[in-house]
Amino acid sequence: MSAAQKATLAPEPDSDTGAVAVLGVRVGNEAYGVPLASVREILVPPPMTEVPRAANHFLGVISVRGEIITVIDLAKLLNLEVVNDEPHGRVLLVDNGQELIGVAVHRVIQVYRLEPRQIEYASVMSADLSDYVVGVGRVQDHSTGGADDVLILIDPVSLLGE
Amino acid sequence: MTDPRDNVQQEFLAEAQELVEALSRDLLLLDEAHHRGERIDPALVNEIFRSVHTLKGIAGMFGYKHVGAVAHALEDLLDDLRLGRTAVGQNLLDILFDSVERFQSLLTLEDPQSPQEEAGVQQYIAAIRSVGIEEEVEEGDPIDKYAIDQAVLAVLTEYEEHRLRACIREGLRLYRLRASFDLMTIDDSIEALREQVQEEVEIITYLPSMEGGNEDTIELVVLLAARVSEEELKAEFEGRYGLIEAIAEQTHLPTLPPRRTSIPVLSMRPPSEDDGGQASLRSVADSVRVDIRKLDHLMSVVGELALVRSAVNRIVDRFKHDVTHRQSTMDLDRIGRGLERQLLELRTGILDVRMVPLGQVFNKLARIVRQSAREDDKQVRLVVTGANTEVDKLIVEELTDPLMHLVRNAVDHGIESPEARLQANKREEGTLALNAYHKGSNVVIEVEDDGGGMNAHLLRDEAIERGLLTVEASQELSRQEMLDLVFLPGLSTRSEVTDMSGRGVGMDVVKTNILRLGGMISIASEQGTGTKITVTLPITLAIIRALIVTVAARTFAFPITAVREAIPYMPNEVHTIHGRNVITLRGETLAICDLGQLFDLRKPGDREGKFVVVGSMGNRKLGFVVDELIGQEDVIIKSLGKSLSSVRGFAGATDLGDQKVALMLDAPALFTEYFEGPDVFRGLESRP
Repeated sequence: MSAAQKATLAPEPDSDTGAVAVLGVRVGNEAYGVPLASVREILVPPPMTEVPRAANHFLGVISVRGEIITVIDLAKLLNLEVVNDEPHGRVLLVDNGQELIGVAVHRVIQVYRLEPRQIEYASVMSADLSDYVVGVGRVQDHSTGGADDVLILIDPVSLLGE
Repeated sequence: MTDPRDNVQQEFLAEAQELVEALSRDLLLLDEAHHRGERIDPALVNEIFRSVHTLKGIAGMFGYKHVGAVAHALEDLLDDLRLGRTAVGQNLLDILFDSVERFQSLLTLEDPQSPQEEAGVQQYIAAIRSVGIEEEVEEGDPIDKYAIDQAVLAVLTEYEEHRLRACIREGLRLYRLRASFDLMTIDDSIEALREQVQEEVEIITYLPSMEGGNEDTIELVVLLAARVSEEELKAEFEGRYGLIEAIAEQTHLPTLPPRRTSIPVLSMRPPSEDDGGQASLRSVADSVRVDIRKLDHLMSVVGELALVRSAVNRIVDRFKHDVTHRQSTMDLDRIGRGLERQLLELRTGILDVRMVPLGQVFNKLARIVRQSAREDDKQVRLVVTGANTEVDKLIVEELTDPLMHLVRNAVDHGIESPEARLQANKREEGTLALNAYHKGSNVVIEVEDDGGGMNAHLLRDEAIERGLLTVEASQELSRQEMLDLVFLPGLSTRSEVTDMSGRGVGMDVVKTNILRLGGMISIASEQGTGTKITVTLPITLAIIRALIVTVAARTFAFPITAVREAIPYMPNEVHTIHGRNVITLRGETLAICDLGQLFDLRKPGDREGKFVVVGSMGNRKLGFVVDELIGQEDVIIKSLGKSLSSVRGFAGATDLGDQKVALMLDAPALFTEYFEGPDVFRGLESRP
């Protein structure tokens, strides 16, 4: 299991164009991208057990085939405004390099293949971005009829959630 | 995946560790025999030699230069011992025992070739070499007293010659046995003969006789040294093997021909040290070493299969009332039940594999006892029972340190000096007993000594002096409660005090470690008679029995080892003492703590809990207020992930089936938090 090594926005080895596969998800009103290589599974949220005393962005723990997985609420982690407690539609099992962590999102959009020219890295953008963000990808959102959309790219390694 | 070289390295270390442990075990036997003045069993010396020999071999292959060098020097020394060129003495034993520690530290080196170790290793090797030349073998060859065929003497190996000499010196009589063996089964037959005679008779050598035998059989002349009379020997052997004749003692000394002349080499090899390698290979062939993570993995596979089983169950439920599929549904149900049974067996099997005998730890402890006794000039006899008692591998590992501490304390502070013992009308030699046995789903380990016992009043006075106890509180203490004070942190830190109280430092640490394993520790002591410390542990960490409760609609699990009882909660019986809520239980004051408030789960106006779960940790008790008691269950504990490791109060989580997860409460942490933590009473202070 070496997804940990891939768990950054490294180009896919089989691609000569340097394209990266990213899973697009919706959190609140924004679209985020998680490197597909780090996503192990997409689950319909199983029963959640909250952990008292844990930080606010921890939703709780779930059992996936007997393993206990910590689930974080991406919206709370990123300090997003979420309208009237919209329920989480999916939990991604993401390998952050240290453990398998559950990431609760509102909806999964689709898998995008981002060409290098479609990606702007945080380091070259002047915007004040959160630590969890590596950059943005410009994609065409089929659901909105082909208009350009922005995908905020998440670094799974940063999702330690401490 | 891991580097295959790492795997090989791990294999080496595991094997080397086993060899060192075997060495340590055998040395203890040797030491014991020596101290009792018993005959040293040559098989034991051979066994020790083999361990070191094998260790030398594999250390060389894996570049453990220092280990190899030490083993090499030891091997020479042991060879001298085997061949009677040197004898077992205190110096030699000390050097041999040192080697166990030395090997262990050399095996843990990051760099097995580390130049820093060079000097120490060379010094040690020099010490080994100096032991070897100390003891001289006496003059005059006793073999000359017997009329042994020169042809036989000429082909004896040096080792066989030494054994022959040693047997004669010990007063054993020599006999010659002529017996025919079937060529096909000769190896087994000789092995059987060896096994049969072990105690009273030693086989020095065997050679094919020049006469007798045919195509399928061979006649051997076996040279025996026996403790028993000729009649007994004849009764034992003549019928089964062949003729026994005593070898006469010579009246005049013969002129000795030079030994080791080149007699034609016989096709059959006499037993020699070279057989050792094969023997040890055979002994490890019926066991395998397994990485415990692999077992954990298997355990989760079983977990997945259990989910398959419940999926089958749901299908059965769905079709139960469907008449058209009645037969198929019943079949499926039956298959599902079969699956469940097998799964249970699989789970039990995997748990069983994790079990290792406590003997491993006990061997280490035996070494500590010996060492401590030597340092303190005390005489201690160690009596071990139940070394076969099996416990989860992980527990065994965590248990070693606390037990070492207890044993060292017992020798250093419990057992008196020989003079003091004589004055107290006791035997000079103190007894330290290590007992292990199963009791229900627990394993009990007792460390008991017949030393001076503990002085309860000194402990109490010390606790008062250190401000751990008020004078008023001390007046209400029973003797047992005074003894329990030894577990208080900060009490037994000054050695001279604990010398008087009869127990050493760090009992609080021992207790914490035991509690962490879900175990309990208790102490019983009579002044002048001795002390007994009892450690009770769960057999496995993987599965523990838990009391399942709910608090504010959430499910929690209490480790059953920490639960004393559960009683109904009567809010109107609660009093407040120093800001803490207490109730009275059978005349005793019991502090209580509402889990709902502790974990901030209750909103104002929520109904209060209905039960109090009375937990106990050593001599402390605390009542936890919960809503409902669901029942007891055997649960598999999984740790919470890294992200949640800083959250206090939970020892892990467990899947109760159907993906419902319950958090396992960390009883020792909650106790510490309640009784010692500064910010614990947030919830309680807000009570009206």
